[in-house]
Amino acid sequence: MRLVIVRLRSPCFALGLFGAGLAGAAEAHGPVFSPAPETVWKGGTEVTLGLHADRAAGAGEKEKTYELFLEGKYGITADWEIGIEIPYARKESGGDEVNGIGDIVLDTKVQFWKRDLPGAQYKAAAFLKAKLPTGDDESQPRLGNGSTDVIAGLATGYESRRWYWFASGVYRANTEGAGGLEKGDRQFLNAVGGIRPVLTEYDEPDTVLMLELNWERAGRDELNGSDLADTGGWELFLSPVFWVTYRQFAFRGGVQVPIADGLNGRQATSDYRARAELVYHF
Amino acid sequence: MNGILRTAVFAVSLLLPVAASAAQTQYQLRVDGLACPFCAYGIEKELERTDGVESLEIDINAGTVTVTMADGAAMTEAQASRIVEDAGFTLGGFEEVRTQAGNKPE
Repeated sequence: MRLVIVRLRSPCFALGLFGAGLAGAAEAHGPVFSPAPETVWKGGTEVTLGLHADRAAGAGEKEKTYELFLEGKYGITADWEIGIEIPYARKESGGDEVNGIGDIVLDTKVQFWKRDLPGAQYKAAAFLKAKLPTGDDESQPRLGNGSTDVIAGLATGYESRRWYWFASGVYRANTEGAGGLEKGDRQFLNAVGGIRPVLTEYDEPDTVLMLELNWERAGRDELNGSDLADTGGWELFLSPVFWVTYRQFAFRGGVQVPIADGLNGRQATSDYRARAELVYHF
Repeated sequence: MNGILRTAVFAVSLLLPVAASAAQTQYQLRVDGLACPFCAYGIEKELERTDGVESLEIDINAGTVTVTMADGAAMTEAQASRIVEDAGFTLGGFEEVRTQAGNKPE
């Protein structure tokens, strides 16, 4: 396939090529930057109000994104949930600034395996998401991809009164948007370990600390069928995260710190990503 | 004397039904998979919606849920199992504890 060198303004935007690529990955009591096998109980509803911020710099570009999102999940059964995420973003790049609704995400998750032990639980789930072209893909920088993208993945994990671990793999298939631009497909692999330092009672605040290792890779973007230089590659992040819960409320957050990368050509690389969420279920 | 005795027996017979009707039933559920208080809220929510449940107490460290029923109300093990499974857990044990109102389990 012919490699085309085309300098697009902010070619790797949409949150710096990778950004919050998992769109609503966070689960109420799982990792912050990667998916978990948890589902809401039957008939339960979970609402999340979150803020995501990231910055990327390099190749003469400096890009910032601040995204406020509202997410809702409903438990159809104890093993099957559906959800929706609505983002509102503000993006800055190369002196340009834009804000508005981003790409809305619809999702469903099925927990297909579970093993319950006294004080511990093993789980595994499969999930499917559709990222809809609701964000403006003609703004500068772009608020949306202009395409319907499909995200599928598997997540598994273990939780006990003291220790946690999670692992997940995700594939995002991007389709062609307006103007013949197709973002490269993405793959994500994640590994997480966590600990509950203090065992409290049921009606007391509860704190869990975790460390995530997040690897992301993207294929090259294509413009009218030709690969674009300076796109695609991989990044590796180390992400300390936490959650504090009390009854049906949870506050969680963390930071993704890039520790290695193999990006193609000249691109802005991630400086950091940060996320904070307030969760309520009823 | 016979009159006094008859009066005493009559008074005691009036007290007995009152004592018997004050009995409440408690159940102790052992719940497997109970690791996280935030997740356990689902059990509290499901039980609160169950007819006849007067109060409940979750011991997250012991992995147990103690359910106190209203006077005359009862819960079956199958019912408890369904409630726990709908909350995302597994019933590991079900024990009935009968107690007098206001007293701790015998």
